[in-house]
Amino acid sequence: MSAIALSVFASQLSGCKTIAITNAPVENNTIKIPVSSFANKKMQIVRSTTLNDDILLIKNSDLQYTALLMLCTHRNNSLTVSESGLYCSAHGSRFDLEGNVTYEPATQPLKKFTTQLQNEFIIINL
Amino acid sequence: MRIISLSGLLILSSQLLTAQNLSYEDSLQKRLFQDEKKTIISGYGEAKFNYDLRYKTGTANFTRLVVFVGHKFNEKISFFSETEIEDAKVEGGEPGGEIAIEQAYLKFDLNKNMYLQAGLFIPRIGILNENHLPTTFNGNDRTFTEQLLIPSTWRELGVGLYGSCEKFSGLNYSLAILNGLNSSAFENGTGIREGRYEGRDATATNLAITGSLQYFFSDIKLQLSAYYGGSAGLSQREADSLQLNSGIFGTPVALGEFNIQYNKDRFSLRALGTAIQIPDADKINRAYANNTAETLIGGYGEIAFDLLAAKNKKLDLFLRYENFNLNNKIPENGIENGLLNQQYIVTGLTFIPTGGVAIKLDYVFKKTGDPNPALVINPFPQAPQYYNTNSFINIGIGYSF
Repeated sequence: MSAIALSVFASQLSGCKTIAITNAPVENNTIKIPVSSFANKKMQIVRSTTLNDDILLIKNSDLQYTALLMLCTHRNNSLTVSESGLYCSAHGSRFDLEGNVTYEPATQPLKKFTTQLQNEFIIINL
Repeated sequence: MRIISLSGLLILSSQLLTAQNLSYEDSLQKRLFQDEKKTIISGYGEAKFNYDLRYKTGTANFTRLVVFVGHKFNEKISFFSETEIEDAKVEGGEPGGEIAIEQAYLKFDLNKNMYLQAGLFIPRIGILNENHLPTTFNGNDRTFTEQLLIPSTWRELGVGLYGSCEKFSGLNYSLAILNGLNSSAFENGTGIREGRYEGRDATATNLAITGSLQYFFSDIKLQLSAYYGGSAGLSQREADSLQLNSGIFGTPVALGEFNIQYNKDRFSLRALGTAIQIPDADKINRAYANNTAETLIGGYGEIAFDLLAAKNKKLDLFLRYENFNLNNKIPENGIENGLLNQQYIVTGLTFIPTGGVAIKLDYVFKKTGDPNPALVINPFPQAPQYYNTNSFINIGIGYSF
């Protein structure tokens, strides 16, 4: 039993990765991220000095990306991200990588920004 | 969440709709609009019907109603508060009921990964202390371990630093300094619970430090937390007369806690272990004769499975086992009380018909050790027999918005 628990724990640990942070400016209420920055990753945190909160940009396919504001809809705490979702360290709310609530106390989904591809850039529309 | 703007909903709505076609709710989450000032009102509550299967008696109670008021002063400074009414009614001169400020603090955002909070707040210890909304835990009652060992909701006055580690994604930390406890109020049977000041006239000559580490990875959350604080906020003269150690950490109370939570698809698991050490329990007993234990220890484990697997709805079937001993070790001048060695099996259903609403049904089996006749000072000749086991049925509702 304990061996099974240990192996599950070890497999979970192997998923530990630091999520890359990309700094990018806001221009005309948009943020541009080069498609090439997703060459070897599934997601990255987008940060701008003019935004109070980070945005999680997730690659769903070569043509589709999801941009989520990393701010808990319960008490406006910044969120922590892992490979399987986003978590609020303050009150325990959880969200999936689509921004849907998977565990309360938050009841509203995360703010999602529309994205589009343009000349080898992913455009996040704020 | 209901959001009320101080400057008026119409004005605010028109401003925000002009700006990027976002609702005012969106903007509050987004925090993109630099000059907004917002006041938020929300709340939570719970009520239950309880039936004692051994004594065939029932009670119904509106356990608590809590109103949350928050305000954002600017991009960096916010205010958070929770005011609670317990048991629906408080009347002067009558026992029962409570009106209390559960939290009231200012939050200062230092940067994207770090913030300070100052005032009356709940330190990060255990699972339910910070996160006690009725829609987030199974069963009508909060876990007994986190009521009697970790005295949730445990709030004190102080300053806390909270943050996340960017170099090690998923790692969060907290460190806080708080007022200490009052060992003269400790009661046999409730651990350190009655020694909390909860923001009212706390002695600040004795202090406490508490810290936590949280780590999220994949579907697992781990947390380790600790508390160390003085429990004798007395003047030197008073402390000497009672033969207690005063000072910042005099007559200390140490608490350690570890918990793990796992959520994957329809399955969830949580487990918690905690221990309290009061090395000067003998001195507290000598001073106050309150039969304080030296070591308290306990924990619980819970598994749950969502029977519905529907979007925005849940029907969790759960099973929890709790085991703790509030007098795991007693000092030489203490008296062992077998009633404080307790086990619980709790099972039931939690139905979430929509986010923020819970309907709960649970069965609680309770088992204790034997009472110690030495603790009964004036035995009542017609006292009914004590039963080591009992069970209860609870039906209740809870909400948060």
